[in-house]
Amino acid sequence: MNLQVVYCNHHTADLNVREKLAFSSEDQLTRAYDQLRTSFPNSEMVVISTCNRIELYTAQQDSEQAPTHQDLAQFFSDFHKLPVADFFEDFLERTGPDAVRHLFQVASSLDSMVLGEPQIVNQVKEAYEIAQKNEACGPLTNAMFQGAIQVSKRVRTDTRLAEGRISIASVAVGDFGKSIFERFSDKTVLIIGAGEMAEETLIYLKEEGVKRIIVVNRHIERAEHLAEKLSGEAFPFEQLNDWMAEADVIVSTTGANRPIVDVERFRAVREKSGKKPVFILDLGAPRDFETAIGDLDDNIFLYDIDDLESTCERNRKARHKEVDKALLIIDEATDNFMQGVYHQATGPIIKRLREQWHELSEQEMQRLFAKLEHLEPNDLQTIEKSIQQIVNKLLHPPLEALREEAREGTPHGLLDALKRLFHLRDS
Amino acid sequence: MSWTNISVMCFLASYLVACGLEFSRLRKESAITRAFLLTFGFAGLIAHTVYLFVRSSHSDLPPLLSSSHDWLLVLAWLGVVVYLFLTTVDRKLAIGLFLLPVILLLIAGSYFVSDAPIELIQTDSQNARAVSRNVGMLHAGLLVLGATGVLAGLVLSLMYLVQHRRLKHKSTLQKGLRLPSLAKLARLNWWAVVISVPMLTLGMASGVWLGFQTKKSDTPISFADPVIVVYGIVWLALVVFLTRLLRTRKTDGKRVAWWTVLAFGFMLITILGLQIMAGGSSLESWHDSQVFFLPTERLV
Repeated sequence: MNLQVVYCNHHTADLNVREKLAFSSEDQLTRAYDQLRTSFPNSEMVVISTCNRIELYTAQQDSEQAPTHQDLAQFFSDFHKLPVADFFEDFLERTGPDAVRHLFQVASSLDSMVLGEPQIVNQVKEAYEIAQKNEACGPLTNAMFQGAIQVSKRVRTDTRLAEGRISIASVAVGDFGKSIFERFSDKTVLIIGAGEMAEETLIYLKEEGVKRIIVVNRHIERAEHLAEKLSGEAFPFEQLNDWMAEADVIVSTTGANRPIVDVERFRAVREKSGKKPVFILDLGAPRDFETAIGDLDDNIFLYDIDDLESTCERNRKARHKEVDKALLIIDEATDNFMQGVYHQATGPIIKRLREQWHELSEQEMQRLFAKLEHLEPNDLQTIEKSIQQIVNKLLHPPLEALREEAREGTPHGLLDALKRLFHLRDS
Repeated sequence: MSWTNISVMCFLASYLVACGLEFSRLRKESAITRAFLLTFGFAGLIAHTVYLFVRSSHSDLPPLLSSSHDWLLVLAWLGVVVYLFLTTVDRKLAIGLFLLPVILLLIAGSYFVSDAPIELIQTDSQNARAVSRNVGMLHAGLLVLGATGVLAGLVLSLMYLVQHRRLKHKSTLQKGLRLPSLAKLARLNWWAVVISVPMLTLGMASGVWLGFQTKKSDTPISFADPVIVVYGIVWLALVVFLTRLLRTRKTDGKRVAWWTVLAFGFMLITILGLQIMAGGSSLESWHDSQVFFLPTERLV
């Protein structure tokens, strides 16, 4: 029995290597499974392909039929038309319990770029479903992936690995914005500038239901471009004060080298807007809003990068503290899984040995009872019971030794010895 | 153990443990703490309910009418029901941190309040008894509902101020202190005030009507009764507060929250203080469970 994973991920390879090895669509994955089935007909396969990792899990009942690291690298090379030498150094392999532990760590987000991020388990589930759809899975990969999903759930509930937001945008919206407003669907969001952070923040705001997005930029064409991308409306920079008065959420990410909104300017805006709550995310560095603006009235909630980053950092540290706890859970789950696999490997031999010995004892008893016709049924029963007990007692030491060995791994040596000593056939 | 052996101490202790566990969640949240917290909360509620039921059976009056002691316990009981409901529905909401101390205060206060049953109206007429009982029930019921609204407004406003402070100080969400958004708290607080003040007004009006009915009896209720006078002043203050609230822009959430804390806090302390003083005979008041008589013809 063999379990194996070959992979390259954000720890091992640059994005330019990963993007060359990735499977960008389900169609491409389907073609990959077709080729894999042809090349390795006795293997079970699951491919996980995300922007941060490309992993190929394989499993075989017979270790001798397992593809080698080189074989699998060759498959990637042929499929992506890429020389093996271009990626082999970044293309790692793990086998047996290490492969299982790796999958459990990936699914539990211990191996993710953002520790504890929740998307990876869905990506693992999705990869497993696609493999099932392509009939690439088998009993071993089924057990492995179902186990991985369960372990990930346990890690999430038993540790705080997934608690606390750790990106600036998610902290801004989740920890602060949602504590100010009850809903965002009726709110107007004003984007000043065209920084990437604004786009990321808008993803979270849109998830909360934001519909009206206004983009203001010194260059109207840039504003129009971003507005089109975000399904918003673009306006010239001269209208900034009007839109600040109208907005409930202001996200500012200009590249200005000094604040574009000072206290006096914002005081004038508040006179126009009244004292409605306004949530300002100043994501510019240097800052776009003077910090004293936050003290103008009780309903101005102004946050800059440092305010948000300190929360992210605190949450990141809290997550890292949970890693050891999560690893213990994963180690325990890996041991349990491997014990199950090893027992599965020894199961048929144990069954055959038992059957063979009991069959022999049965035959001998029939012969004996034919000679002892004068005995009462009760006596025959007693003899039968004794013989069964002798057989069981004789079987106990070798089977116990087999079980003991199976805790550490598939006991190939012992299994071979038993087969040869007792003439057990492979069925 | 007989049901009649249940004392205020039984459920006060349960709520005290639940309150302690609520505060412990600020340091470490766990499913076990929550399970214990709910167990103690529900155990306290059962004991609380049985206690009120037993007292009501003994006095042959609904708990709202039987004594000031029971009236305060009914108010606390309503608070506990709200607390347990919200805590069961939303496992992270930190309502207990704010509501349980007020509930404990009410229950502790009930210790010092008269628990002698009030014989509202003694008269030979069955009809007169029924009418007096119904009006009395209406008076006490409206007041307890109004007071529940006051309690809700107070707790919501405290939550608003804590949440506002966190947001202004840019502090991260603290473990075990998850609060609703400012907008939601302000909206709920506005409704708590808008509902509770009319309830208290109607409660006052029914009390005044009841007072007038006793004018020709042997023991008429005096409107100079200190409890009634102070209640009247508090009610007037609340009406002024409500008027200001309705005229204030809804966006002024922090100011409204402060007013509510001051007005409702003052009202709760006044109610509790007066009841305690009346119960301890520092004040001569009908509300100290005095029996009064009503001429039959005025009620039928």
